[in-house]
Amino acid sequence: MSLQEISQAEEIAKEFKEHSVAEFFKKNMQMLGLTGKIKALTTIVHEYVTNSLDACEEAKITPDIEVQIKELGSEYYEITVKDNGPGLTKETVGKALGQLLAGTKFHRMMQMRGQQGIGAAGCTMLSQITTGKATQVITGTGHGHPISLDLTIDPKKNQAKIANLVELKTAFKGTLIRAKFKGMKYVNSEQAPLEYLRRTAIANPHAQITLIEPTKQKIVFKRTLKDIPKQPLEMKPHPKGVNVDELSTLSKYTNAKQVSSFLKNEFDRVGDKAIAEIQKNVSFDLKKDPKKIEWDEAEEIVKQFRKINFISPRTDGLRPIGEERIKKSLTSIVQPEFLSVLTRKATVYRGGFPFQIEVAIAYGGNAGKGNVKNEDGIIEKKMEIMRFANRAPLLFDTGGCAITKAVQSIDWKRYGIKDFEKAPITIFVNLISVHIPYTSAGKQAINDEVEIMEELRLALMNSGRKAGQFISGKKREQERKMKKELFYKFIPEIASALEGITTASKIKLEKELEHLVLEKLKLEDAEEQAEIEKEINGTSKEKKENSEKEPLKKKKETISESE
Amino acid sequence: MIMVKTTPVAKEKETPKQIAKKLENMANRIINQIHKNIDPVFTTQQRGRSNVEFCEKTKLLKLGDKSTSRNFLNIGHAKKFMQTMMVTEKTHNYLKENKTASIREIYYELKHTLGKTKENTFEEQTESDSCIVDLEHSVNTIREKLNLHANPKGTLYGDITLVDKKHNNDQFNANKLGRGGWSIMSRLEPEEIEIKKVKADYLLVIETEAMYERLVEEGFAKKNKAILISTGGQAARGTRRLIHRIHSEQKLPVYVFTDGDPYGWYIYSVIKQGSMALAAHSNFLAVPEAKYIGMTLEDVETFGLENVTERMKDGDIKRAKEMLEYPWFQNKEWKAELKLALQKKIRIEQQALANKSLSFVADEYLPKKIKKKDFLP
Repeated sequence: MSLQEISQAEEIAKEFKEHSVAEFFKKNMQMLGLTGKIKALTTIVHEYVTNSLDACEEAKITPDIEVQIKELGSEYYEITVKDNGPGLTKETVGKALGQLLAGTKFHRMMQMRGQQGIGAAGCTMLSQITTGKATQVITGTGHGHPISLDLTIDPKKNQAKIANLVELKTAFKGTLIRAKFKGMKYVNSEQAPLEYLRRTAIANPHAQITLIEPTKQKIVFKRTLKDIPKQPLEMKPHPKGVNVDELSTLSKYTNAKQVSSFLKNEFDRVGDKAIAEIQKNVSFDLKKDPKKIEWDEAEEIVKQFRKINFISPRTDGLRPIGEERIKKSLTSIVQPEFLSVLTRKATVYRGGFPFQIEVAIAYGGNAGKGNVKNEDGIIEKKMEIMRFANRAPLLFDTGGCAITKAVQSIDWKRYGIKDFEKAPITIFVNLISVHIPYTSAGKQAINDEVEIMEELRLALMNSGRKAGQFISGKKREQERKMKKELFYKFIPEIASALEGITTASKIKLEKELEHLVLEKLKLEDAEEQAEIEKEINGTSKEKKENSEKEPLKKKKETISESE
Repeated sequence: MIMVKTTPVAKEKETPKQIAKKLENMANRIINQIHKNIDPVFTTQQRGRSNVEFCEKTKLLKLGDKSTSRNFLNIGHAKKFMQTMMVTEKTHNYLKENKTASIREIYYELKHTLGKTKENTFEEQTESDSCIVDLEHSVNTIREKLNLHANPKGTLYGDITLVDKKHNNDQFNANKLGRGGWSIMSRLEPEEIEIKKVKADYLLVIETEAMYERLVEEGFAKKNKAILISTGGQAARGTRRLIHRIHSEQKLPVYVFTDGDPYGWYIYSVIKQGSMALAAHSNFLAVPEAKYIGMTLEDVETFGLENVTERMKDGDIKRAKEMLEYPWFQNKEWKAELKLALQKKIRIEQQALANKSLSFVADEYLPKKIKKKDFLP
């Protein structure tokens, strides 16, 4: 959760005092990403599944998650999510599911899947206001008996209300949440829970995810890897990426006694040299108690942060999925004929935020979206972009997202991918960052930061070249086969005619003619290969030029400091 | 357009055995290429306007020396290459077994599906026809010598005695076969049909069957000591071969009588100079000394036929303009005739003469014109 989110949370928390939570929810549905009946359902599934994945990962458990969606009536559903995670205690369950904006992810500068909507507690609230019903929780930690309880939120106090708490005799470790919702719709679209879970499974090959649809159909996305990914490291915010509001918020939570130590302790890459530089240019003494910092003073500090050249933030806290893991999961779920995976090196945008791009291009097999037959009975495929932010799938606001823009900015024809929009291609892009720059509070589209676009394009071009080589190679192979068949079918007639006129042997002639055809095709293939290589070398030269333009590499004058 | 070089022309006297040998040589050449791991190639003379020239000396259309090849290892040629090999084998068979076939028959003999595909060896007769032409040109012979023939067309009438050497040496006079005369065969090589005796002063070639019937009914041949040949439109190869042979063997002058329009003029032109399609065989088929008797635009005036002319169609006008450019129409009489037709935009049919009377053509028109030697060159 980013600083921006924290301050947003503060704001929301303030509002709770004045309005009823239910009212607030109704008013802010759009902001929280709950427009649309399909989207609402997907968002709920997302909140529960994300919580389960995060909890399992932190507890080093390979996640096994089952999602069941039951249709109870018109636009009326019951959603059950069961995991094998560490479970919750009587004390933590209320905080996790019954108190808005009180998640464990608070105040952490760390790469997290993040809340894209309302959080699991928000789901409890949503269930309550749409159906008047409580959310059922069954949870077990492995120590003592598992418990079952019904949970609601007291909107006035923003506190969990627990009812029907019982201890169960059966053994159960993990958490099961069952809640009912009205005003939503389950359909089979690209934005529906099924596609959301498919993509979640791709980005989390260590998790096994099962969906039981309202039709009772059971879909299992099998685990492809057993090892749990390494935990991302918690990182301090970089001075370049902080704004006045965030700085003043952080200053309230610090244990530091002076502003100078607050800045050095709470921010990455801020050392004595920078403090001296700041002290020279601000109107107050940095020995001051940080809790007493005024808005104007925070503004002065941020202004200095902008001026000073800091070393780029550490990037070692980021945890990409990794090429091998992506390869395994895409191979298992998409089963492509060709797959190219690339994890770029981590870099920084806006000078302060480390990020990393992962790209995969899958071609053929089940790649691409749409498996619908057209009038002629031919399956029409379309190119598909799978967007992820910190491994969580982004399903909405496709057009406004930097990933989509980067994909569209590439001239795929140059890589031999002709009808790109209609090709059986899946493009997988995962953006990893401690702070994903979303375009809006809906958190479904990534802002097109210059450095992010640059990295996206380079990664896509690199993978695109490889995919293009495969595709044109495949096309060549098909053409070669067709040509061979074309020549071969005439050979028996020719050989038999020549045998008829002379005393030559038909069998010998046939063999020799076949040999001629094969030799010719081999020669043609070698020529084409040479041609393609020439073309590709041309484009890779351009690639080098592009990467030289990378703006960050030019910044050589940075203050060399370390903490 | 003076010919510098032409490809060797077919020899009249070649025997079936010699032709078969030529085919074998061609096949062996291709087999050797295959043995040597070389893309086998079939070479033939290029045909069509771009390789046809008019020889001023002989006054014949001749084929130039441009050749064209069909390689097996060429996607566009491969099937044609196969088809040519098939046609070659089949004609080689005909020659060996002393059989003849029509070009439609060889098409049906060779047509079948290719292996397990849905494709046929030949989809249409035009495909095998063009292979036959390729083969004729490749081994410098005519299809008749490959024991092939086109569908016959044309009629012979008059005091001319022929012997069919391939049919009991039947001897017959075309004067004694009734009004229908003798149906001209498509194969008229000397070894099959001998021209024994001719009692006539000239050979009259007539475009339409209807005019031929009129002249037979009027007893024109006997009265005027003429041999009549009707072509029924554009003259078939057999008919042209017969006209050529009667002219060259019996030294009879040849007069051509067609409608006065581009189509008729071109019938005359083919009989006289040869055709573009068969330019290689002009010396077998053409009669450079032939004369054009009519219809002419002068006839319209002389015989007062203005009210029975017809308007030229757009196609006629286009064709007449093209003909004005042909080297073999470059003489003052023909240029004047074509220009006048284009100026008046009219055409005149042979049968328009019936406007005067049915017997007018036989009693007055033809005898008068022949007597006065009123011809176009």
